[in-house]
Amino acid sequence: MKERTRLSISFELNGSPRRIEVEAHRTLLSVLRDDLGTVDVKEGCDEGVCGTCTVLLDGRAVSSCLVLAPRVHGARITTLLGLSPDGRPHPLKEMFVRHGAVQCGFCTPGMVLTAYAFVRSHPQTTRQELRKALAGNLCRCTGYAKLLDAVEAYVREVCSVR
Amino acid sequence: MSAREVLERVGWRVVGKPVPRHDAWDKVLARTAYAADWEMPGMLVGKVLRSLHPSARIVRLDTERARSLPGVVAVLTARDVPRNTLWTDVPGQTTEVGPLRAKVHVLAEERVRYQGEPVALVAAESEELAEEALRAIEVEYDPVPGVFDPQEALSPGAPLVHSDSKSNLLARWTVRTGDVRGALARADVVVEGTYRTQFVDHAYLEPEAGVAWVDSDGVLTIRVATQVIEHFRDVADVLGLPHNKVRVIGTYLGGGFGGKEDVTVEVFLGLLAWVTRRPVKMVWTRQESLLARPKRHPFVMRYRTGALRTGELVAQEVELLADAGAYAFLSALVLLYASTTACGPYRVPNVAVDAQVVYTNNPPTSAMRGFGAMQVVFAYEQQMDRLARELGMDPVELRVRNGLRKGDRLPIGQVLETHVALPEVARRAWQALGPAQPPSGPHLRVGRGLACNLQPYGRIVWLHDWASAWVGFEMDGSVLIRAGVPDVGAGQASSLCQIAGEVLGVPLDRVSIHVSDSALTPLAGTTTATRQLMMSGNAVLRAATELREHVLRVAAQLLETTPVELQLDGHEVRTPDGRCVSLVRVLRECARVGVPRSAFATYHAPAGDPIDLDRGGGRVFPDFTYGAHATEVEVDTETGAIRVRRYVACHDVGQAINPQSVEGQIQGGAVMGIGYALMERVILDAGNNQTTSFSTYLIPTSMDVPDVIPLVLESGEGMGPFGARGIGEPPVGPPAAAIANAVYDAVGVRVTELPIRSEAVARALYELAGHNG
Amino acid sequence: MGPRPFRYERATSVADVIDCLRRGGANARVLAGGQSLVPLMNLRLVEPELLVDINDLPLAHLRRENDAMVLGALVRHQTLEESEEVRALCPLLSEAAGLVGNVRVRALGTLGGSLAHADPAAELPMVSLALDAQLVTEGPTGSRTLRSEEFFRGYLTTALEPAELLTEVRVAVRQPREGWAVEEFALRQGDFAVVAAAARVQLNDEGRVDVVRLALAGVGPTPVRAQGAEDQLVGAPANPRRVEAASRRAAADIQPESDVHASAAYRRHLTYVLARRALTRALARAEEATP
Repeated sequence: MKERTRLSISFELNGSPRRIEVEAHRTLLSVLRDDLGTVDVKEGCDEGVCGTCTVLLDGRAVSSCLVLAPRVHGARITTLLGLSPDGRPHPLKEMFVRHGAVQCGFCTPGMVLTAYAFVRSHPQTTRQELRKALAGNLCRCTGYAKLLDAVEAYVREVCSVR
Repeated sequence: MSAREVLERVGWRVVGKPVPRHDAWDKVLARTAYAADWEMPGMLVGKVLRSLHPSARIVRLDTERARSLPGVVAVLTARDVPRNTLWTDVPGQTTEVGPLRAKVHVLAEERVRYQGEPVALVAAESEELAEEALRAIEVEYDPVPGVFDPQEALSPGAPLVHSDSKSNLLARWTVRTGDVRGALARADVVVEGTYRTQFVDHAYLEPEAGVAWVDSDGVLTIRVATQVIEHFRDVADVLGLPHNKVRVIGTYLGGGFGGKEDVTVEVFLGLLAWVTRRPVKMVWTRQESLLARPKRHPFVMRYRTGALRTGELVAQEVELLADAGAYAFLSALVLLYASTTACGPYRVPNVAVDAQVVYTNNPPTSAMRGFGAMQVVFAYEQQMDRLARELGMDPVELRVRNGLRKGDRLPIGQVLETHVALPEVARRAWQALGPAQPPSGPHLRVGRGLACNLQPYGRIVWLHDWASAWVGFEMDGSVLIRAGVPDVGAGQASSLCQIAGEVLGVPLDRVSIHVSDSALTPLAGTTTATRQLMMSGNAVLRAATELREHVLRVAAQLLETTPVELQLDGHEVRTPDGRCVSLVRVLRECARVGVPRSAFATYHAPAGDPIDLDRGGGRVFPDFTYGAHATEVEVDTETGAIRVRRYVACHDVGQAINPQSVEGQIQGGAVMGIGYALMERVILDAGNNQTTSFSTYLIPTSMDVPDVIPLVLESGEGMGPFGARGIGEPPVGPPAAAIANAVYDAVGVRVTELPIRSEAVARALYELAGHNG
Repeated sequence: MGPRPFRYERATSVADVIDCLRRGGANARVLAGGQSLVPLMNLRLVEPELLVDINDLPLAHLRRENDAMVLGALVRHQTLEESEEVRALCPLLSEAAGLVGNVRVRALGTLGGSLAHADPAAELPMVSLALDAQLVTEGPTGSRTLRSEEFFRGYLTTALEPAELLTEVRVAVRQPREGWAVEEFALRQGDFAVVAAAARVQLNDEGRVDVVRLALAGVGPTPVRAQGAEDQLVGAPANPRRVEAASRRAAADIQPESDVHASAAYRRHLTYVLARRALTRALARAEEATP
């Protein structure tokens, strides 16, 4: 067995403080899914290419398969579940449903989180900018048009009227 | 009264409306437990040891060290598998090759025939221990010469992939009608072309996964991402268990596209759970999935097409050669689809198709969206484009002129019984491109292309397909459906809710559905072949219609009128003159007088016997879906880069049950087809897979594709519920040909090999310009 | 899947990093953004015994010093892409950073990490050549400053000694009458370039080319500076004919390899096209730029 380092990390997951003992070689993806049962984060490629394991780390979209557990210490992690802290569906999710942006749903968590983070920092965004922002999240079902429709509608109908 | 007539009466409350899918809510709210999301107490981790070599003998396989590792609970090889063979029968196979019983070993015995072939299984207390166990298994391979090209595989003296067969030919189909030679000789114009398509992967976002356990009643239960819950029989056969002691619970899938049609993890999980008597989870990595799972067939297609000056097609001679990879799987049937649709949606009086599929030591090939009927589109639609140019005809008019009509026969002899929308789809798609746009910069040229197709929906008629469903009212007036339908993400379950809700007049939030459990839901067959909307849709429609009759009969007694006068509307049953009774009251009355509050129905698809294609035999498929795609591309004349600027996809879907789902299928299918056209490629080097990751196997991103404009036509003439046709597979067919035709239109380069690589375009342009570099 | 186990050290200072690396020997690796290293570890292509995490070091600084932009090795791609200061003072760097990977890679990937990883097809190593970047390192024998040209030694190989850390990158700020451009050709948006070109030109008052740097990616085991092409342009008025000739020279001077993505001949052809486009755009920008 290879040598390893165990450490204790504390972080905030979807608004709740967590503290766990974990080996340093574990990825955030694996910690979320296997240790904490946060299975709304999906595993798709192990290379940070597909975007299904996207989470927000201190508000920025990252590939949880490429974040090692020690790097999570002191951070704020948000998964799909964390986008509806009051239990009500987040308006962005509502747009995904209303516009038919969800088919198999496997890319949905990463897609919602990526869109959410991007729109928050780029409230005046355009469809072409969204195209680029979502280009790191693969979808094999929708052909992307309805995904863009959903995010664009969110920008237009929700963000701009706030 | 037909379903459509009923609908006309009650007014299309939810069918035909773009209502949000219930599963979409579940998915955005993170309520959907996919196969890999499932946990059981005491669960072990299962893993597969795979062959490193594409062709080798296993000289030594020693599991001693692996077995002795602490935390390793089971290590299995072929010797430990009670019955080490999985079978698939292919009915109707031509006699030259003999009736085909396709088989594959569960675990390799003394020979491996493709890279990634399963050799051993392990189950251990953790992921890390399972990996240690794999590393501890000692395998010694003795490489054996393999064969990696189907043409070479047919040549005398080629290494035999399966030593018990006479040659590497796995299956052959021929279609003959009229006199091709004579007709080609008489034709005013003959165009010839050879087209090559590539290996591609389904590349769904969800890798293969499942969990198996032996339940408290001794039933081996497997919760798995599958398009086919009836693989419970395969698991039972391998383990030597009675079929009624294995249960498959299908999950909502993270995409299937045909890749979860063949067995994936089920048998491995069944073996490990049965041996260890503990729950076992197996999730394949993306690398494993890309390495070892069956792919789409590469084809070499030689076409000679003859026409008169008027544009009338007189003959088509077709040779198809497909690569089956190392094992048969569904290759013979894929080839049948290709052979029977090889001339496209056109009237061709004289046809000869000779098709062969051949074993090699490449990864196996099997079902993938389009199933053989999509590769040929790349060939026949470029032939049409060549003809149009040769004859100086408009590409749309040439297609309309030759387009099949209702009542016509396909070259296989099948009569088309429903509307053939070819003229409309071609014209509508082409028009929707709008006025030509100038290039967006220097060195760019713009071009347009069109491609039409036909795609069967429903299974081959001699498979005597059927599907069952159960629909019932609960005492509170809510509706429950039970249907053994795997939902692959295309909204199968949700569409059934719409159908039942429509017929029973119940709002969708009062309709619930249980799907995809071989023990508890009536069997509905596979979610493949674009069949489920027709099959389960019709079954649910029948059951709901029967249920409606029961309830209205009782309501009519309560309201002292005739059932035909009554409207079922949400929570009550109403008469035209405004009298009503609550639905709950009616249901109680049903209970009191012993009238059933549920109905079970089975829908049987059109069926027939296997035909002899050589003699223009007759019917092979229930029906077809017709479509046309039109695109405008921009080609960089220096780099050869192709940008798809506009894309229109038009299909006659008969009747859209949910227009939003239909559009989503069209857009997603078209984009998958654009990936096939421009970038997707499993690269093999002497059987060694070079593209086993998502950074090397490229599927389109949002930056690579335009917004596909879906045009939905509704002829109302499909064989599905309310006249619907299937739309799952059809949109994947036309893109490659449409783009190839548009590239030719832009820069005069005819690309006949997929994917259309920028390098090939640049090279051809360089040669066109008269360089001799 | 994930990486195989390793020992983990969270470094608190540069000296600490050097010390850890020295003790860790050949199987020690530095963890910065992890966007190149962790995928390799996940795929088991790299299995370090020791990982030294440098993310807590104060190396994310970004400031102007006279005519230089000083960037800490831990500056993230997203910062390069979005920082107003970088966009104004070093637009080539921000343009190139925007082409790297995807939003998630850009959120965590670091400038120093990208340079030290030295992928020959990556944007930032190429751009560091075009900018004639100075790379500051700290090691057991003290600090060194290397020109980026000396830094890239071979495929994924740099001049960094074992136990040496890249800490800072210095680039000249954009001058008046300076133009820049990056052009790349990828098989798919956001992917590694098959070939890319980065150009930077500065014109003098007479409109002659005063300074020109042309760098290429995807054409060899390291990013390449196209010196032959630069020589053809420098000191003369830039016109399309000269740009054309220089671009042909750039293509002639490289020795690209064939692989599954592109043949050597195609890479050479792309080099010519992309070099010409990058130079043309850079010159146009230089002419637009008013002192």
